[in-house]
Amino acid sequence: MNYEKKILLVDDDIDILEQNKILFEAEGYTVETAETSNDGYEKFLTFKPACAVIDLMMEEYDSGFVLAHKLKRHPLGKKMPVYIVTAVANQTGLQFESMTPEEQEWINADDILNKPVEIEEILSRISDFYENQSG
Amino acid sequence: MEDSDHPARILLVDDEDYLRNGVKRILQIEGFEVETAENGAEGIKKGTEFDFDVALLDLKMPDISGIEVLRMIRQARPNTICFMATAYASYETAVEATKLGAEGYILKPFTPDELIHNIEKGLQKRRLILEAERLKADREARLLELAFERSRLNTIINLLADGVLVINQFGEMVYYNPAALRYLDLDVILLAEEILEILPPEVKEIAQRMISKEKFEVMGESVQFKLSSNPDMFVEVTCSPIPDHDRKKIAGIVIVAKNITQFKEIEQLKSQFVSMVSHELKAPVAATIGFLDILLNPKMKLTDDQRSDFLNRSTARLRSLLTMVNDLLDISRIELNTVKREIVKIDLASLVQETVEMMQFEAAKKNITIKFSAGEIPFTIEADRLEIERVITNLMSNAVKYNKTDGEVLVSLKKKGAYIILEIKDTGIGLKPEEKNRLFSEFFRAKNEFTKSIHGTGLGLSIVKKTIDYYSGKIESESEYGKGTTFRVFLPEKILNK
Repeated sequence: MNYEKKILLVDDDIDILEQNKILFEAEGYTVETAETSNDGYEKFLTFKPACAVIDLMMEEYDSGFVLAHKLKRHPLGKKMPVYIVTAVANQTGLQFESMTPEEQEWINADDILNKPVEIEEILSRISDFYENQSG
Repeated sequence: MEDSDHPARILLVDDEDYLRNGVKRILQIEGFEVETAENGAEGIKKGTEFDFDVALLDLKMPDISGIEVLRMIRQARPNTICFMATAYASYETAVEATKLGAEGYILKPFTPDELIHNIEKGLQKRRLILEAERLKADREARLLELAFERSRLNTIINLLADGVLVINQFGEMVYYNPAALRYLDLDVILLAEEILEILPPEVKEIAQRMISKEKFEVMGESVQFKLSSNPDMFVEVTCSPIPDHDRKKIAGIVIVAKNITQFKEIEQLKSQFVSMVSHELKAPVAATIGFLDILLNPKMKLTDDQRSDFLNRSTARLRSLLTMVNDLLDISRIELNTVKREIVKIDLASLVQETVEMMQFEAAKKNITIKFSAGEIPFTIEADRLEIERVITNLMSNAVKYNKTDGEVLVSLKKKGAYIILEIKDTGIGLKPEEKNRLFSEFFRAKNEFTKSIHGTGLGLSIVKKTIDYYSGKIESESEYGKGTTFRVFLPEKILNK
């Protein structure tokens, strides 16, 4: 399945945001960035990306979960991968393996990735996602 | 009675002078101390007044009979060994004298050897009686002590904050204190009640295993769990086996239950704090590495402007990291109370004035006006100058940083009782009600559309609060979202109890 190379990055660290923007652009992507959950949701509606990469800890420690839930509930979001990235998986009380199936279903993100993320990893996940959809 | 520094004391009661004096001499030669009485009345007086070791009483005396003297002495001095001396003894008087406790009869006339022999026998008897009496008194004292000790031990165990429950090798309750019921989730239990089944499963499992062991081992075992009836309470239970008399088998188990709820809460707060710190420290490192990776990546086509921008931003992130590490060290120094302070008198008005001037440059960037007003009276406090300067700088820099363009910062000093009040009021972005409670906690930074470009570690106000707490002061805040925030710091003029 073909998809437009458009990606939405949401992170409250503007340095990280700009770095990832440059890296995805080097891969031929059009990139839109947002620094808050609300801004992220607005941009998602207007920009209509093929993928969203969301930082977990923004305004609140779980803002990324809430935004992922909102995106995946939207008709446009259902058809695209949403990845949550976090630096806290290993050191905090947040143990994603121990989340209940109900919680995981509610968040509904396609994956939770450890920060710093490799651009290549996200690219290959995106292409896997769309191949599975067409197949 | 004979002892190391005193010879045995003998009372001699006889109305015949020659006999009294002769016997006295014989006894004195043998090393005894002798007291004499020449009639019954004197004999009673001396024999009851003093505890003689042995008394030798003439049976027949003109005034009072020897039997009467014997009775009176035995009554007052039951441990004085009494002999009756007489030339003729009837069966009746012998029986009566024995009934009254006379040791024996010495028939007149007697030889010195007979006399000494009898006296020695009497002294031996006296020694035995006194020794027995001493043992009896000792034993009574010990029993009393033991009973007292036991009741004191009971009281102590009952007052212990930890629960104590003792069971025997059959799993029957032998002893418990009230706290044991609370921390082991039990209602009333009875002496000798089989208790294993009603213990929390975690404890039952250990206790059962311990009791079933053939041999005694000095091995306690602990378990931590939440009470099923009260999941907010965390307890730690330690079971220790009690050995039997030859330390081979298990006679029972002592179960000690401790409430560790608070400890668990602190442990959780600590690990939350550690993960927050690592997250905050990791962010600038990750951003810096990100920039460096891009700069070092030959595939990236970067302009010179981009290169220098990325290097500048990396430096800025590392600087903020350094500030954060320093702030964290300061917080830990304040908490561990290892801050080196030099307490001096500080003129707050001039210190605030200096800070206002220092802030002007930063304020001018957003066209913010800082106004400072204080009365003519002196505003002096006793404190460490650097610490107080930091409190003022942190609060003022917040008032500028979180202000709007063309805004105002109003600073004032007032005096109320023994306190100086420093007020810093801004016309900035203010706080949402839910943000106010978290204002002084580490790493809290209000995050919204106004604040996203403002840099900070989230440690400034935490340091302010901890410093003010040290000086027994107080900090208050009032805030309205979108309108501004006012901080009010109360500092005592005289330093208290430091």
